[in-house]
Amino acid sequence: MDKRVILVTGGNGQLGSEIGRFFLTVTANDTVWLATHRNTDRAEAFAAQFPGRCKTVSLDVTSQEAWADAAQRISAESGPITVLVNNAGKHDDALLANMPIETWNDVLQTNLQSVFLGCQAVLPQMISQRRGRIINIASLSALLPPPGQTNYAAAKAGVVALTQSLAKEVARIGITVNSICPGYLETEVFTSLPEAQLDEVRRRIPMRRLGRPEEIAAAVFFLATEAASYITGSSLKIDGGLL
Amino acid sequence: MDQSELNTKIKQMMIENLMLRLSPEEIGDDQPLFGPESLGLDSVDALQLVVALDKNYGLKIPDPAAAKKALHSVNTMAAAVRDLGKGTTPP
Repeated sequence: MDKRVILVTGGNGQLGSEIGRFFLTVTANDTVWLATHRNTDRAEAFAAQFPGRCKTVSLDVTSQEAWADAAQRISAESGPITVLVNNAGKHDDALLANMPIETWNDVLQTNLQSVFLGCQAVLPQMISQRRGRIINIASLSALLPPPGQTNYAAAKAGVVALTQSLAKEVARIGITVNSICPGYLETEVFTSLPEAQLDEVRRRIPMRRLGRPEEIAAAVFFLATEAASYITGSSLKIDGGLL
Repeated sequence: MDQSELNTKIKQMMIENLMLRLSPEEIGDDQPLFGPESLGLDSVDALQLVVALDKNYGLKIPDPAAAKKALHSVNTMAAAVRDLGKGTTPP
């Protein structure tokens, strides 16, 4: 397999590091960059386990300038980016009636604008190489929006639509753009819920369990391989059969 | 070089660089390059056009906002080239 340079945003989170781990352990040639913003501890500790092959870069995903700087730095140090995983995200739930506009804007910027900026910053490198894979982490909320998530669900549905549109813009030269819609995962967001609430969540999932971050990472890895070269504009839900 | 000559040169540049199966006469001066009723170019074409305009005319398009304005049609590309004062330099 050719040497690849992979950039994963949200690199300090559990899912981000599991995505990085998949590339680093399954292949020998890939270089993984974990992009982090405010918190960097987990990403730095993780990167230290893979010296020379895993690096961290500071990146505010809502800033066009920060994206330009990060893309330039990565390209200068490791070569052009070949795989972009837009994984950074946040949620800040509130009923629409009570949602401050700042909350709406913040969630839209972090989840949706960040994907737009990331694709725009990295695509020139991919187009000049005439190869590239973009994998956007959306959410089951895009397809099955719960109450209290008008901002998050709209942003993630936007990510799915952006993915479909961009896929058509770059398909001609074999660059693929896909999204993944994870359901409930064994990450702090959900495992910190009270046990009774977690039981209720498990009961609703046909597989009766939460997904593991590595199960999302495996799909990301697959979408980045040559074997997935005819898959573009797709949205893959990984939810234990919930939807 | 008059406007019509520059427009034809730009159309030829597009045909060569984007491998369009069209003749210069089939591309309208005001025809949008992207979107409905357009030539149907994509993001790959857009970036190739930015590179070609720089290579052929020294026209630097610094950011997406400038690209959106300059790459609307053949006429807008020609205007950007003329603004640069290089419209008289044959590519």
